[in-house]
Amino acid sequence: MVIIEFLIIVFLASIFAGVFGSIVGLGGGVVIIPVLTILLGVDIHFAIGASIVAIIGTSSGAASTYVRDKVTNLRVGMFLELGSTSGAITGAALAAYTNSAALKIIFGSILLVTVIPTLMKIGEDIPKSPELKGLSKQLGLKGSYLETDGSLVKYNADRPVAGLAGTAVAGVLSGLLGIGGGGFKVLSMDLAMRLPMKVSTTTSNFMIGVTAAASAGIYFVRGDVDPLIVAPVALGILIGAAIGARILMRSRNPTVRKAFALVLAVTAAEMILSALGVIS
Amino acid sequence: MNLRDPESMNAIVGNVLRYGVILSAITVFFGVILLASANGASDSSGALQYYPSQVPHGDFPVSFQALYNGLASFSSFAWIELGVIFLIATPVSRVLISVFLFAAERDRLYVAITAVVLALLLFSMLLTPFIPLFQG
Repeated sequence: MVIIEFLIIVFLASIFAGVFGSIVGLGGGVVIIPVLTILLGVDIHFAIGASIVAIIGTSSGAASTYVRDKVTNLRVGMFLELGSTSGAITGAALAAYTNSAALKIIFGSILLVTVIPTLMKIGEDIPKSPELKGLSKQLGLKGSYLETDGSLVKYNADRPVAGLAGTAVAGVLSGLLGIGGGGFKVLSMDLAMRLPMKVSTTTSNFMIGVTAAASAGIYFVRGDVDPLIVAPVALGILIGAAIGARILMRSRNPTVRKAFALVLAVTAAEMILSALGVIS
Repeated sequence: MNLRDPESMNAIVGNVLRYGVILSAITVFFGVILLASANGASDSSGALQYYPSQVPHGDFPVSFQALYNGLASFSSFAWIELGVIFLIATPVSRVLISVFLFAAERDRLYVAITAVVLALLLFSMLLTPFIPLFQG
């Protein structure tokens, strides 16, 4: 395949990845990695390096829209990022001493199981907000955003310690495997902290960029960030994320949840199948 | 512009993200133009070769010196990598600005939390690539 063809194929796939990744808060690696490895025969290391760039692109590309519309909760994100960045550093240190295939099967299975509680809440539009108390109150983990019908939705976060533990696991996964972290971040905010779905995915979208940037240095210096691959990925993902952010702002929580459950199931299946050697 | 006003700080965050992303995209696009005009019809497999036993694992610049030389000689790969570095810097600048954002709101707790996140982020991004424990 000549360079022009390669650039165009990866660019188009990345637009699609950016649209989906920004809506569900997982970053788009779930689309980029199989397109590169299965369809185009790229080495998995380069594919993971490209996925890191894709995650940062989705995060920053969608963020300027989310900042303007104030749906991302910066306090929740920054508090949880304590767990996620320290988890990522721990994961990176452990990477040399662990069996990544076994980990992918374990965490892939956990993600697959969490599709069930996600689906059980499928019709939920605005969660019944708990009373603001304890640590959530001390940390000011509350917020509000404008819904599509113009109503102001106010919410409080529940169980911050469980949320922090969940995002620490997400961080360890990002550091160890380079994938799967975004799913645990959204799940922590959705299932443990009971935030509205859009707040969970956009806040995850902020966090995945920070966590990916934390591990970007090591991938860059190692030479896993191949310019031929990441150029069309970066350009496509930025365009896709800008489109996805606008779609998200016009969608209601149940729609976002359906998209999230779908991408979560695909991510989990990808992790398990790659560990079993079915796909590279 | 009032740095003590949370609303205008929010606008600054939005602008830094937007201009950071645009700067990155323009730089990467410039690299793509260089690449497509010089080598567009060449086979892509050479630039996709992964070398597991050498660092860097591919045939492109990653060190400061190699990047500098590549930029000066208008190497497509060096310009693309510079654009990618701009992109990697956007989340970092967002966390940095958030420290000032929380300071503007006089929220000491979150100034501290965000400063810890920033320290962890910079440690992980800039130092761990050179610590043997993390090179596995």
